[in-house]
Amino acid sequence: MTANPAPPNAAVPSSKETGKPLLHVDQIGIAFGGLKAVQGFSLNLPTGALYGLIGPNGAGKTTVFNLLTGVYQADSGQMLLDSQNLMGSKPHRIAAAGIARTFQNIRLFPGLSVLDNVRLAGQLRSSHGLLATLLRTPAHQAEEAAIRKQAFDLLAIFDLQDRANEPADSLCYGHQRHLEIVRALATGPKVLLLDEPAAGMNSQEKVELAQAIRKIRDQFQVSILLIEHDMGLVMEICERIVVLDHGVIISEGTPAMIQNDPKVIAAYLGGGVEAA
Amino acid sequence: MAHSAPETPAKVTMQSAETRRSHDSIWRGLLPLALGMVLALALQFVLPAIVGQYNSRIVMDIGIAMIMAVSLNIVNGMTGQFSIGHAGFMTLGGYTAAMLTYYGSLYMWGAPPAHGHFLGAGEWMMAGACIVGGLVAAGAGYVVGLPSLRLRGDYLAIVTLGFGEILRVVLQQTSKVIEDPAALKAAKWSQLFPPPVGGAIGFADVPKYTNLFWVYTFVTITVVVAYRLKNSSLGRAMISIREDEIASQAMGVNIARNKVLAFVLAAFFAGTAGGLFAHESGVIISPKDAGFQRSFDYVIMTVLGGRGSITGVMLAASILTALPEMLRDFEQYRLIMYALLLIIMMLVRPQGLFGIHEIWQLWPGKGTRTVQKKA
Repeated sequence: MTANPAPPNAAVPSSKETGKPLLHVDQIGIAFGGLKAVQGFSLNLPTGALYGLIGPNGAGKTTVFNLLTGVYQADSGQMLLDSQNLMGSKPHRIAAAGIARTFQNIRLFPGLSVLDNVRLAGQLRSSHGLLATLLRTPAHQAEEAAIRKQAFDLLAIFDLQDRANEPADSLCYGHQRHLEIVRALATGPKVLLLDEPAAGMNSQEKVELAQAIRKIRDQFQVSILLIEHDMGLVMEICERIVVLDHGVIISEGTPAMIQNDPKVIAAYLGGGVEAA
Repeated sequence: MAHSAPETPAKVTMQSAETRRSHDSIWRGLLPLALGMVLALALQFVLPAIVGQYNSRIVMDIGIAMIMAVSLNIVNGMTGQFSIGHAGFMTLGGYTAAMLTYYGSLYMWGAPPAHGHFLGAGEWMMAGACIVGGLVAAGAGYVVGLPSLRLRGDYLAIVTLGFGEILRVVLQQTSKVIEDPAALKAAKWSQLFPPPVGGAIGFADVPKYTNLFWVYTFVTITVVVAYRLKNSSLGRAMISIREDEIASQAMGVNIARNKVLAFVLAAFFAGTAGGLFAHESGVIISPKDAGFQRSFDYVIMTVLGGRGSITGVMLAASILTALPEMLRDFEQYRLIMYALLLIIMMLVRPQGLFGIHEIWQLWPGKGTRTVQKKA
């Protein structure tokens, strides 16, 4: 799974390439009682794309992630990953289908080691059942060894391999955020959803993170959808941006378009155009 | 294996090296089991001579408590589902196994008392019956595990508690044991309902086959299974459920399947422990064994030992089984002692004796060098 067929310096498939989008989301929405948290959310994410999802606090960005990953079940709409219908699927099925995520408030497994946090993904593709596990058959042993090696390869992205045996909660904040990304990558995703990966990082760390995100996209050929409040980062690395306010998309386009959209400015700064 | 040593190493091709290694590891897979059985055999023949019958009996009780605590730890410690009905599975397995050996002996040999010598037919019958008892308990574990998909924390605890209590009351309503071989041969299948297992007074006259060898053979199986589970993809999936269900799902862990699997596995071993318990000399398995009190004893062992620490839980099971025996004179204070011990532990070492670690990980200089000593 870690094998990257295209060398990193080879031409990356353009987001504008032809063909069907990898992730096709059409008009999904959810209401909690009378509160329409997200309405009519649509998105077409091509292979290898790097899109941003922004909006003021409470706009429903994380709710969108929860809908895409099956934590919440959408009331209506359509969701296709590689033409595979994901509507109504349980979160673990969606993860197996190829959507992985990180969390806004870090949700590592604190009691597991750094290595085990990453190795956990191995169970997704494990072909061995309980009996093989309990008998420790050679095939099962080989598989465990492969899972272990893959985990170390992934940890190397953020230089975490030396800390593999430490408990995850002993890492500092920035490394925990990195580990969340590594853990998500371990599931071998086609689409990676990053929920505020730069939160709480200083400007130097943000620069490194931006490089890392690009590198991950190129190396693993994943499409990335990014929620982020740091506009510098979003404008720098995202090819297209979707702006959400009060649960609806108010604007979509390239960073330059978004920056000059009066509706976006109004949503962030208030006043100006009164959105009905 | 000895003759597979290469005379000329250069001639060993990759292929044969590969097959030999995989051949070896099949045996390595079963090696711990063989070692455990040798140890059990040694205990069986050496221990009574050294420490006497009475103390050997306590060691036997410790073994059964270990099976219970280690298996409960798969549900409570690893998967993080709070179950306090473990004695229910034990008793269910115990009654099942006892029925099989009692009526089996009555039918085949005309009398329930122990048949055959060490490792004789009677003992093998008991071992088989323990496994069947485990399977029946595992079935119950599946049923009790299902609510765990919707309930968590206190609510799940109440369901598991309810299971034990329901079983206790049902067992009280069972009919008298059939003592006459002729009556047994004339009995109809319909007499199985309610099963003739003695009602409230308990199932007396179950043949007493349990000995140190069998107890520690089953202890070995339980510990090896728990350890391998803990260090596998499957076990990591279970632990991730304990740590964070939402993140676990997002990593593709099928929470429902793993929770139920944990319950089924734990119940299986509790059932085998129940079988051993029912065949222990001086024990009359009775409905009250399914009750809350006994379940709670095992919960305390897992809490004291540390969540998910197999060796920690084994140590706690040993201490908590041996201690009341050593303090026989103060028996009426046992529950006070337990409560005090728990309070002290919660204050001094809330993560349990070993926390999430195994004993060798706590040894200075061994295992992971970065074991955290958190307060």
